[in-house]
Amino acid sequence: MTLFLQTVLNGLVLGGIYSLAAVGFSLVFGVLGIVNLTHGIFVVAGAYGALLFFGQIGIDPLVAIIPIGLVLFAVGYVYQRTIIQWAVSRASLVASLVVTFGVAMMARNGLQLVFGPDVHTITPAYSFMSLTLGPLRMDVVRLVALGASLVLLVVLALVLARTHFGRAIRATAQQPLAAELSGLNVRNLHGLTFGLGAAMAGASGAIIGIVQPFTAASEVAWTLNAFIVVVLGGIGSPAGALVGGLLLGMINAFTAQYIGPSLTQAAMFLVLVLMLLVRPSGLLGNAFGESR
Amino acid sequence: MNRTLALVLGAIIVIAAALLPLWIGPFYTRVAQLFFFSAGMAIAWNILGGFSGYWSFGHTVFIGMGAFSAAHIVHRLGPLGDGPLSMIVPILLAGLICGLFAAILAYPILRLRGIYFAIAMLGVSQVVGELVNNVSWFQGGIGVFLQTPVPSGTTPEDFFYYIFGGLLLLCFLISIAVRNSRFGYALLSIREDEDTAMMLGVATERYKIMAFVLSATLVGIMGSVYGYSVGYFTTYTVFRLDFSLNLIVFCLIGGIGTLFGPIIGTAVMLFITQVLLSRFLDIHLLITGAMVVAIILLMPGGIIGALRSRKRQANQVEPVEAEARA
Amino acid sequence: MTEVILSGRGVTKSFRGLTAIENVDFEIPAGAIFGLIGPNGAGKSTLFNLITGYYPLTGGEIRFKGEDTSGLPTYRRNQAGIARAFQISKPFPALTVRENVRVGAMFGRPGGSQPKNVVNEALAIAGLEELADRTAEGLTVGSLRKLEIARAYATRPSLLLADEPCAGLNPIETEEMVNCLRKVRERGTTVWLVEHDMKAVTSVCDRILVIDAGQKIAEGTPQEIVADPKVISAYLGEPLEEQAS
Repeated sequence: MTLFLQTVLNGLVLGGIYSLAAVGFSLVFGVLGIVNLTHGIFVVAGAYGALLFFGQIGIDPLVAIIPIGLVLFAVGYVYQRTIIQWAVSRASLVASLVVTFGVAMMARNGLQLVFGPDVHTITPAYSFMSLTLGPLRMDVVRLVALGASLVLLVVLALVLARTHFGRAIRATAQQPLAAELSGLNVRNLHGLTFGLGAAMAGASGAIIGIVQPFTAASEVAWTLNAFIVVVLGGIGSPAGALVGGLLLGMINAFTAQYIGPSLTQAAMFLVLVLMLLVRPSGLLGNAFGESR
Repeated sequence: MNRTLALVLGAIIVIAAALLPLWIGPFYTRVAQLFFFSAGMAIAWNILGGFSGYWSFGHTVFIGMGAFSAAHIVHRLGPLGDGPLSMIVPILLAGLICGLFAAILAYPILRLRGIYFAIAMLGVSQVVGELVNNVSWFQGGIGVFLQTPVPSGTTPEDFFYYIFGGLLLLCFLISIAVRNSRFGYALLSIREDEDTAMMLGVATERYKIMAFVLSATLVGIMGSVYGYSVGYFTTYTVFRLDFSLNLIVFCLIGGIGTLFGPIIGTAVMLFITQVLLSRFLDIHLLITGAMVVAIILLMPGGIIGALRSRKRQANQVEPVEAEARA
Repeated sequence: MTEVILSGRGVTKSFRGLTAIENVDFEIPAGAIFGLIGPNGAGKSTLFNLITGYYPLTGGEIRFKGEDTSGLPTYRRNQAGIARAFQISKPFPALTVRENVRVGAMFGRPGGSQPKNVVNEALAIAGLEELADRTAEGLTVGSLRKLEIARAYATRPSLLLADEPCAGLNPIETEEMVNCLRKVRERGTTVWLVEHDMKAVTSVCDRILVIDAGQKIAEGTPQEIVADPKVISAYLGEPLEEQAS
């Protein structure tokens, strides 16, 4: 029983991180219709950013989320308005998929050249503390990661639901042409959405950095995780990302505990393929309707 | 007229390729061997991805499955002959196993379209790779051996140069036959608009499965020969994400869905990475990525597509010439 | 009594409780050009989708040449001889006009003459010979509609369902399309035409079926239909006097 509860707890923590790491991907997929294969790069870049801030000037990764988010927001905005926009206007949405794939290769190689191929970890002072609650044990750093992820997800959900910017994004996602005719600058909104997605990914990267080891090559896994989360939970909403992320975290934790740690990838993809076949729009469906 | 010309030209190229190892050193023979291997698989990928529009991000599963099948067949059945002939049964069985696996997998997975099919295939390759690696029966973790089929008096690079050259030719001829048949037209119509194709009487389901099985069988055969060429391999030698992705890149750069695109794209990319930049191994990914981005932004139809649209522009200027050609 | 090629008895289709087609009967005589008209949203396209098997029936039955069609997948119905030309053209964009038509010829009804001859015949009927080697991507709306007809004809159907082939065409193109449909019929293919352009419908059709809000409200020759008060009210609303009283 204790083992079961401990596994649930591990799954929850992992799931919170998966959710945050995937929500930007989900938003971009839902609003722009683009499957962004550069997404994992943003996550890993966030982790490397946190590593730099912590290693060079001793800033805590959780604080570093703010500058990292701002930088990645700018990078994401410019990237969408240039390369991705060019690819979409010249060829098609499929072309944009391939372009992001090419950029991901370049960026991964670039990160490897700058930071080397070694595995990195970030170890703030609270890394080695842990809490015990009866028989259950949890590292403080993991609880902090879960908390930070949930806070950021809630903030994003509020922004989308309550602000003018959020309404504009939702309108653009449902009917780009009508949104444009109602006076919204759709191109700009697409850039902002992409920037927001990149910032969320970067923030998650900073958190991931304190919980897990990472390398430049981890980006593939984080892109795939985001894709699986979206397929499980549904496209385009923080709630969908949360459901999908928690589910993925549970699958991961239970497979590692009860079947074998080396089979987690296999289990995740098995669930992915089954889900695609049974309910391709995810548990919560597409937040923006069937328009895509 | 054109047909005869193409046949003569083709024969000249084949003869030239057959004589080539006499002139170039072992290094370039190995590069050429890699080219034949990669181009053959790119063509096989293109039959599914290019003709029918179902992009697989996980074709490495058939390379790995082909190689491991061959090794296990030899291991279970014992040596099946000597020298080159010993390869025949394991290779054909490996192709058959890959084809069967694809046929079983096809029915559910080909109901997915676009990116969902692509990622699901990636998932399949990861799952199979991990199982082979972790289920001890497969011995993926510690690795398996395949006895060398190279006859005495021949160097391995020359031997596999001819084998892969022959396989490339086989794949190419199959691809031509498919493209010009009813089967090929069915695949093209599926790629362009699957629902409309069905409305016109195309049994889309059946043709998609046929393309998938054909593509998997060819890649499985190439994969098993690859296993022979390396001799000893583990999961990570043959189940490789970069194999899957390179096939797509080669086809993209040459021109997806065309007959010559996969060959040209493979030649260009291997020339850049293996010849021009052979000493700069640490930036290969950067170069490959940059090529992909440049191709999509500058010539979305790949090299073949760019050549064609130039020709089309020329035709529009001189309609008389276009009519004469038709 | 002429032979009936397609008949429906109590054809009904509902989507989650919303009834799109309710209890419609029809009999299409072989060799006719039959019209189907009705206001927007009357269920014309839904009816065609039921006949081609794109949607399953909720109730009733559709018989093609006396055989029940239920359970046949779309491509089987095409091979049996039902072809459809779409209102919103769905060409295979990257293929040439000839290749588009060839797909129809290759996979349509088995047997008959050589695919090559069928392709040429279909191109000739639609007047597309000069555009044959262009890709479908850059064609005008008028040419795309002709391509729809040519490609559907190339499957050698015995029944061609033409979904608003004249919508958005100018008068000259409409005239060409009407002639094209007549040629299709002359070659022995029954045509069932959905059309908004009343001039085109009444000039080309032998008989017309009118549906409104999913129900059959009239059937008859073009002259009878034009004079039918139910049809007039369905299209124009109730006459003013009656509303006043």
